[in-house]
Amino acid sequence: MSLISELFGKSPFGPLAQHAKKVHECVSLVRPLLDACVAEDYQEIHRLQDQVSKLEYEADQVKQAIREQLPRRYFLPVSRDDLERFLHCQDSIADGAEDFAVILLIRNTKIHPALVDEFTAFAGHVVGISQTLTAAAEELEALAESSFGGAEAEAVLDRIGGLGEAEWQADRMQRKLSQHIYRLESELDVLSILFYEKMLLALGAIANAADKTGDMLRTMIVKG
Amino acid sequence: MVWIVLLFTAAAGLYMAWTIGANDVANSMGPVVGSRSVTIAQAIVVAGLCEFAGAVVAGSDVTNTIRKGIVEPSALAATPEVLCLGMICALLAAAVWLHAATWWGMPVSTSHSIVGAVAGFGVVAAGAGSVYWGKLGQIVLSWFISPVVGLVLGFAIFRIIIRTVLGRAEPMAAAVRVTPVLAFVAALIVTLATIYKGLKNLMAQGRMEMTGGRALAIAALVGAVAALVSRLLVRRSLRRCEGLSLAEQLLKVEGIFVPLAVISACSVAFAHGANDVANAIGPLAAVADIVATGSVKMSVHVPLWVLVLGGVGIVLGLGTFGYRVMRTIGSAITEITPSRAVAANIAAATTVLACTRLSLPVSTSHTIVGAVLGVGFARGIGAVNRAITRNIFGSWLLTVPAAAGVAIALFLLGRLLGADLLLAQVIHAAPAAAAP
Repeated sequence: MSLISELFGKSPFGPLAQHAKKVHECVSLVRPLLDACVAEDYQEIHRLQDQVSKLEYEADQVKQAIREQLPRRYFLPVSRDDLERFLHCQDSIADGAEDFAVILLIRNTKIHPALVDEFTAFAGHVVGISQTLTAAAEELEALAESSFGGAEAEAVLDRIGGLGEAEWQADRMQRKLSQHIYRLESELDVLSILFYEKMLLALGAIANAADKTGDMLRTMIVKG
Repeated sequence: MVWIVLLFTAAAGLYMAWTIGANDVANSMGPVVGSRSVTIAQAIVVAGLCEFAGAVVAGSDVTNTIRKGIVEPSALAATPEVLCLGMICALLAAAVWLHAATWWGMPVSTSHSIVGAVAGFGVVAAGAGSVYWGKLGQIVLSWFISPVVGLVLGFAIFRIIIRTVLGRAEPMAAAVRVTPVLAFVAALIVTLATIYKGLKNLMAQGRMEMTGGRALAIAALVGAVAALVSRLLVRRSLRRCEGLSLAEQLLKVEGIFVPLAVISACSVAFAHGANDVANAIGPLAAVADIVATGSVKMSVHVPLWVLVLGGVGIVLGLGTFGYRVMRTIGSAITEITPSRAVAANIAAATTVLACTRLSLPVSTSHTIVGAVLGVGFARGIGAVNRAITRNIFGSWLLTVPAAAGVAIALFLLGRLLGADLLLAQVIHAAPAAAAP
């Protein structure tokens, strides 16, 4: 036939941007989940957890498809290992969101009124970090178009440049919230404290994963 | 009697040209169809016109190489019928090998086949000394060098496109500005490669002096026309880009590259016609020479009707089988976008035309694969199969001996059956039969 027919493999960057979108949708349910927990609307929590689970599964499917379409014989514009690591990290963001949803689901935990504001702020900050990252990752197709250089690459690198500091801020907020919880320990039952800690860990994990994913994205763009 | 020999050879040449057209249309039009710049039907029509033009206008240089640049005709001057038989066998052998390889699903180069076949019969018919081994060495070297040059050019041209358009903060406006410049350059290169010392055949009477200055002027004129046409075609796109973000612009900018992609694909089709028509009609030109004059002469020009026959054959192949080939591989080549196609096409056309100027028969497929790989190295393609380089560096290793073997077999068979004696009668009767 023709040499040209075997020359091209499927570009992974469209599916990667799609994966980022799915993860974005997952994480956007974290705030509603927390709000429902504060409002003690446990049916809503159930509904939202279902949604998160479904979205996380769909993200997994996209991830599988990407992996299947990248046999070794294809040469990519980015390092294949970096791409793998990026995908893995981005996937763990969605995992973190799902973990959070499950924690809220398995026990009807009441949030102490004094902690509500801090919890909400922390969750909002974490979600903000994640959304910054996924918004940048959704531009992977545009990045591929400009060959990972030029004005577009600079714009994306700019946007994810602040992720490191934001994640550090998230760590601080998590520590402060933890300290506040233990200051109130006489008013709280042990299981509630346990579940608060689980929630904090899950939210912290989202922020961590988003930061790591940002690092991987930067490496992909810069190294090539 | 003369006519029967000529007709038979012409039919074989036409058949060979038909296979060339059918198999190779994807080289020029593949990227541009895959990137959805044109429909398959449009591609076929446009390719047909350009291939024919390339064959007739610039096809004589490489034709002469096949005709008299591989096997020294004077070595067989005493027995022109042997040269005649040999050329016919070479043509048939190349066609047979091509058909077999296609049937086995292997991509194979027509240039490799015919060169191997001609060299093969030359060694057997007139001994190893009759083959221009130096020229043959040059040809084989060019089979390595042309994909590498294509790669380097593809890389460089695409980097220029990134620097001037895709890397900008306003890519769509930049594309509208830069497209006419690229069109000018592409048309300039193609025209220069064609007319500077290349229009020998059409200027057989030596009516027009083609000086360097005149060539440049004509090329600049053609370039200007191409630039104007492309500017008109892309101007409307400028309106569409109001208020789009950078990312959105990048996802839409490819549309502006479409006209240039088509123009550059045309130049590849032209270059292919110029270089590959020789594979079909080189032997035919040799036979026509001998039969018309009754002897082996170092004549100057390839007869126009031979070039036209080759061009027609290629167009027929394009239009009939080529359509099906394009449809089959259509889904496999959708990952290339117009801007990448532009870089690869300009690179390939330049390289193939340069080789045509040097009278070297090269594989257009390998050159364009090299150019695409070059674009891939510039990080321009999502996933490119670099295992294909194996094919580039090794396919002639199989084809040249195989085609030579078949040519030798056919030649010996022909001699056994007394075909050369038959031809001798025909040739000696020819000058009397051929009325001026």
